[in-house]
Amino acid sequence: MSGRVVVTGADGYIGRRVAARFLADTDTRLVLTVRAADRAELDAKTARLLPELGPAADGRVEVLPADLTHEAPLAAVTGDVTAVVHSAARTAFDVSRPVAERVNVDGTRRVADFAARCPALERLVLLSTLVSAGLRTGPVPETALVGEAENANHYEWSKAAGERLVAAEFPDLPLSVARLSTIVADDDRGAVTQYNVFHNTLKMFFYGLMTVMPGLPHTRLYLATAAFTSAAVVRLASADAPTGVYHLAPTAGQALPLTDVMDTAFDVFGEDPAFRRRRLLRPEFCDDATFRHLLAAADGLRGSPAAGALRTVAPFAEQMFHPKEFTNDRLREAWPGMPTPAGLPLVAATCRSLVATRWGRQGADAGPVRAGSTS
Amino acid sequence: MARAFIGDMAYSLGATRYELAESAAAGRLCSSPDDLLAAGFARHHVCPPGDGSYDLARGATDRLPLNDGVDAIVYNTCLPQNGSIGDLAAWEATGDVKHLMEFPAGHLQTDLGLDTAVVFGLTQQGCTGMLGALRLADALLASEPEWERVLCVSADRFPPGARYEQSYNVISDGAAACLVTARPAPGTRGLRLVATHQITNGGLHTASDDESVGTFFSYVPLLVRQTLARAGLTTADIDWVVPQNTNRHAWRIVAGLLGIDHERVWQRTLPDVAHAISADNIINLSSLLESAELRPGQRILLAMAGHGLNWQATVVEVTA
Repeated sequence: MSGRVVVTGADGYIGRRVAARFLADTDTRLVLTVRAADRAELDAKTARLLPELGPAADGRVEVLPADLTHEAPLAAVTGDVTAVVHSAARTAFDVSRPVAERVNVDGTRRVADFAARCPALERLVLLSTLVSAGLRTGPVPETALVGEAENANHYEWSKAAGERLVAAEFPDLPLSVARLSTIVADDDRGAVTQYNVFHNTLKMFFYGLMTVMPGLPHTRLYLATAAFTSAAVVRLASADAPTGVYHLAPTAGQALPLTDVMDTAFDVFGEDPAFRRRRLLRPEFCDDATFRHLLAAADGLRGSPAAGALRTVAPFAEQMFHPKEFTNDRLREAWPGMPTPAGLPLVAATCRSLVATRWGRQGADAGPVRAGSTS
Repeated sequence: MARAFIGDMAYSLGATRYELAESAAAGRLCSSPDDLLAAGFARHHVCPPGDGSYDLARGATDRLPLNDGVDAIVYNTCLPQNGSIGDLAAWEATGDVKHLMEFPAGHLQTDLGLDTAVVFGLTQQGCTGMLGALRLADALLASEPEWERVLCVSADRFPPGARYEQSYNVISDGAAACLVTARPAPGTRGLRLVATHQITNGGLHTASDDESVGTFFSYVPLLVRQTLARAGLTTADIDWVVPQNTNRHAWRIVAGLLGIDHERVWQRTLPDVAHAISADNIINLSSLLESAELRPGQRILLAMAGHGLNWQATVVEVTA
């Protein structure tokens, strides 16, 4: 990879790790874009980002401002760009429709438009999500989305819309869509530096604030680490990897049944004396209607911190009633030596980390961004 | 073991009725009136200054036929301080602890002329105490063959300055009383005690409101299943559920988890009574009895969750 690679959202959780992986695995130069309202914010973000990337960034990294809600956000990028990794996005499951559309759909169009004007471009890697499949059930192949499906939230909708938009409006781009799993830890050791619906749900269980689990016990969770994901993205940004759709995920057989994840989590919670003393019960699975009653109750408890937390995980909960079987044949073919997902040991390691740090409130060690081990 | 029967029952509420907005304005509530209204509450009852928990107890017991006496009184309070009605000013002035041991059950015995009644007090079962009293009465009647009637009482008044909202539920000062008899009482609907079960989790004795709400949805289903198992029953054998007056969504969720038709959950006093502490089961059971919905052979599940944390349930069967 001799040209320059642009990584959007490079100060984000995945963007930083993708950049670190590029620096570790390739000799390419990077253009890292971050959202910054002015020079001062850019300087501040740059001052945070470069030390995190370490000495490997010296002389190889340029940090530029780019707000995807503005016209031509990447106009400042010059030189031979051989790959664009579009990582910037609003990823909260409770993002509003207008914001999701403005950032994740319109912003993606602007990135694609930039990519289309890069003559040396070899790859545009669009980071998406497995749940761009929406509320489909059953097999989901590594192909463009076919047909319409309802979505559990606006985030999912926006990522599906972004995939479709680029494929339809920029058919000549060397496009790879990387659909990401739920990222539960930095690497297989289980350290967590970014918290999402997975961690927040476990937190509510640990503290006894939620004791029912919406979903079907056999619904499989597709979990991954940031190290695995960033390594896969770098691999797909290579001209050696065919274009197309990839699931950065374990196989359906390796994905973890929800009930197994819950059991593992509570086994780990039970190692904690304070948790054990409180004799909190393992949650029961509830059906969709019952969960809606729970949400209705939460809506009326505006003064309740737990109800507020429940509302934040609710937009994803519906997926737990829609089991899917994602394939990853294309990824395994494109990535020789792809590491085997850690499975339940990763869940256990992650839970131990969460319990030990009390979800980041005690002794969280942010540390430098590492490319990380993927095996 | 032969099982006793619940006979006559009565209840009383704090004499002053407040709409939610009134109590919110007076600082008695934490949540907004709109939220509490959405939860099913409309108003609640508070004792005026000078009225105490014992007055509430008398308000309930005075409505019961006690002329034939009782063999025992089981007097429950959710708040331990309601288990003594002594003069706190006298305690503070004298340092004499007997002022902290002026027991309302003893007063009741004397005031109602129940001179031979043996007196028991329950103070550590939170809101579930009335079901604990029923269980104790059942056990007493089984172990004392010559005994015929036990008076169960539950009475609580929140102290002045207390907030009348617990775990997002609106509270009423209230009392309930019922007679538990060795044989069905003439002229009353026969309600035979079938089984009672209690779970206590002292590890949650400092549970926050949110933790109390959270654990409700795991412990109550466990409680119900274990209670029914003790009785050799399943949820399909239960015709009615008579719960406490908690957020109207709560038992919709529990019913969903247990596979119980929510139409069979009798919580109709919720808007007007609110959560009258340990008295809820008797209040809602009285409402169900008045509805003429009950038929012989039907089984009723009484269920409560309370501080401590405690969960307690009783199954009764309609015999006549």
